[in-house]
Amino acid sequence: MTAAPASFEPSPALLEVRDLHVEFRTRDGVARAVNGVTYSVAEGETLAVLGESGSGKSVTAQAVMGILDMPPGRITGGEILFQGRDLLKLKEDERREVRGREMAMIFQDALSSLNPVLSVGEQLGEMFVVHRGMSRKDARNKAVELMDRVRIPAARERVGQYPHQFSGGMRQRIMIAMALALEPALIIADEPTTALDVTVQAQVMDLLAELQRELAMGLILITHDLGVVADVADRIAVMYAGRIVETAPVHDIYKAPAHPYTKGLLESIPRLDQKGQELYAIKGLPPNLLHIPPGCAFHPRCPLGRDMCRTDEPPLYDVPDGRGSACHFWQEAHHG
Amino acid sequence: MAEPARQTEAILEVRGLHKHYPLTQGIVFKKQVGAVRAVDGVDLDLAAGETLGIVGESGCGKSTLARLLVHLERPTAGVIRYKGEDITKLSGRALKAVRRNIQMVFQDPYTSLNPRMTVGDIIGEPYEIHPEVAPKGDRRQKVQDLLDVVGLNPEYINRYPHQFSGGQRQRIGIARGLALQPEIIVADEPVSALDVSVQAQVVNLLDKLQNEFGLSYVFIAHDLSIVRHISDRVGVMYLGRIVEIGKDAEIYDHPTHPYTQALLSAVPVPDPTAREHRERILLTGDVPSPANIPSGCRFRTRCWKARQRCAQEVPLLAVPAVFRDDRSPAAHDSACHFAEEKHVVPLEPGPVT
Repeated sequence: MTAAPASFEPSPALLEVRDLHVEFRTRDGVARAVNGVTYSVAEGETLAVLGESGSGKSVTAQAVMGILDMPPGRITGGEILFQGRDLLKLKEDERREVRGREMAMIFQDALSSLNPVLSVGEQLGEMFVVHRGMSRKDARNKAVELMDRVRIPAARERVGQYPHQFSGGMRQRIMIAMALALEPALIIADEPTTALDVTVQAQVMDLLAELQRELAMGLILITHDLGVVADVADRIAVMYAGRIVETAPVHDIYKAPAHPYTKGLLESIPRLDQKGQELYAIKGLPPNLLHIPPGCAFHPRCPLGRDMCRTDEPPLYDVPDGRGSACHFWQEAHHG
Repeated sequence: MAEPARQTEAILEVRGLHKHYPLTQGIVFKKQVGAVRAVDGVDLDLAAGETLGIVGESGCGKSTLARLLVHLERPTAGVIRYKGEDITKLSGRALKAVRRNIQMVFQDPYTSLNPRMTVGDIIGEPYEIHPEVAPKGDRRQKVQDLLDVVGLNPEYINRYPHQFSGGQRQRIGIARGLALQPEIIVADEPVSALDVSVQAQVVNLLDKLQNEFGLSYVFIAHDLSIVRHISDRVGVMYLGRIVEIGKDAEIYDHPTHPYTQALLSAVPVPDPTAREHRERILLTGDVPSPANIPSGCRFRTRCWKARQRCAQEVPLLAVPAVFRDDRSPAAHDSACHFAEEKHVVPLEPGPVT
């Protein structure tokens, strides 16, 4: 699954997001959370969407899943093609069919995503009762099977227990089991391991990667952690202020980032294997979505920023080896 | 900064520190049925001007330890000596004087600042309690100086916390911690709520302040990379105890305790090339409950080396016998019967740029 240059636009694309725009109406004005995001995921591919809080990475995912709160949210443009169909043109009941059966989502906080008054067996089995019309008893057996699959020990004994009786890592496994239940073609995992400790995080990430390979699903992994991404992704899309600023196969981006923001991010994390002097810090603060700077949104924080950056919004320039960078001076960032 | 801590005078000495929270049953007649042993026998020293990092997973007792050090909680047993004086027994005026010198920076900059107070009032509030540090007339000026020191505009003194971003709020929390010119700052996960690009700014600020004011830090975090970056010495905590402690290179490059090795090997390294060259140790299972700590070595239930002896004998935190005559970096305190050195962090990193 190494991403050769040719596989940058792998076909057939399972999911294609094209020029998506999402905004939120707030009391203080319109917050432009997503401003023209384009990405695609192929079958069996893992795309990592990397960004800080407020970069629009989760909002994009919610739009794809069709779980965006509308209002206040509004999709103002773009297409979301899933297996060739534009999801934004579907009726709500058709959309519901796709959700769960064809694509599923794993959330960050398993405890608040699970229903505290239903046993995990009932919650897992519900998928089969609703979507497959199974009897409760069969659904329960299916639930045990799923729990085995995500390696929860003593699944048969624990199927009747409630979410609070499981540890954080086990709850996240239950979330994964629930997402896998109907063997969807696409899974979106939104910060699946952020709430977990490192040793448990490694277990859960490994499990997710293994199941993804086994079932040849497409996986969109949303995260702010450059370390987690390096371990499992095939390709990375870096988001800033609601746009994708850089996209590349995973190996290349760490070796030679082609956007000053990516470069800054990589340099600003302390490393386990080195004790540096001063950390590189990107100056300033992430932009306020109500007032995104004109031109390139990153220019006020950018070491390469020039007059042109203040006025002209950079397109996603082609960078050799199937990469892309939304920086007028990407060559400088790339080689400098 | 990197001198061995033991030769220099310890500003803070902790011996046999315990904090147990009783578990009770019954409503009218409460009886104790057990205890959550959050901190269960911690020994450590902090030298003047040094940064001691404490790492561990959630539930290991590192935050309780922080609260004990600043005397927000009273220990069940054990002593905390500040410049030779046991502070756990102090009360009233004597305690107040000690507290001035040990200040805390909290994790969450969103909940640790009162939303109804201005930044000036938040940072200046310590002066209400310790008026001897700054007479009333000087306070505003002092607060503005502090804002400047932590890199905020002194004109923001009348603003409210909600007008600031997460990183800026953490700077306000740090300014409040500095207000009384303490000697020790206990920082409990000070950057974990911040975005990566902002984290670096705050870590650099903490570094700068240490040099400027000669502060000693106890830096508590779960992020091993950040702890290495900032610490001179590092202690690894598991279920209420320190299982391994030493200089940063001793812990990261020559760990001898299996838990430290597993923890280090699990950290995702942001470099796919380095990742391919390293061995991963995947621990099975979860951390046991601190209400029900395993006998003997508390890590044995998840340890791949565990033998009979581990269930019977509690390993002491000392230089393991195998390394005792050794001058290598592996000879540091490690609480394991079967300690051996293992390199888990790849030594030749692929450079980023």
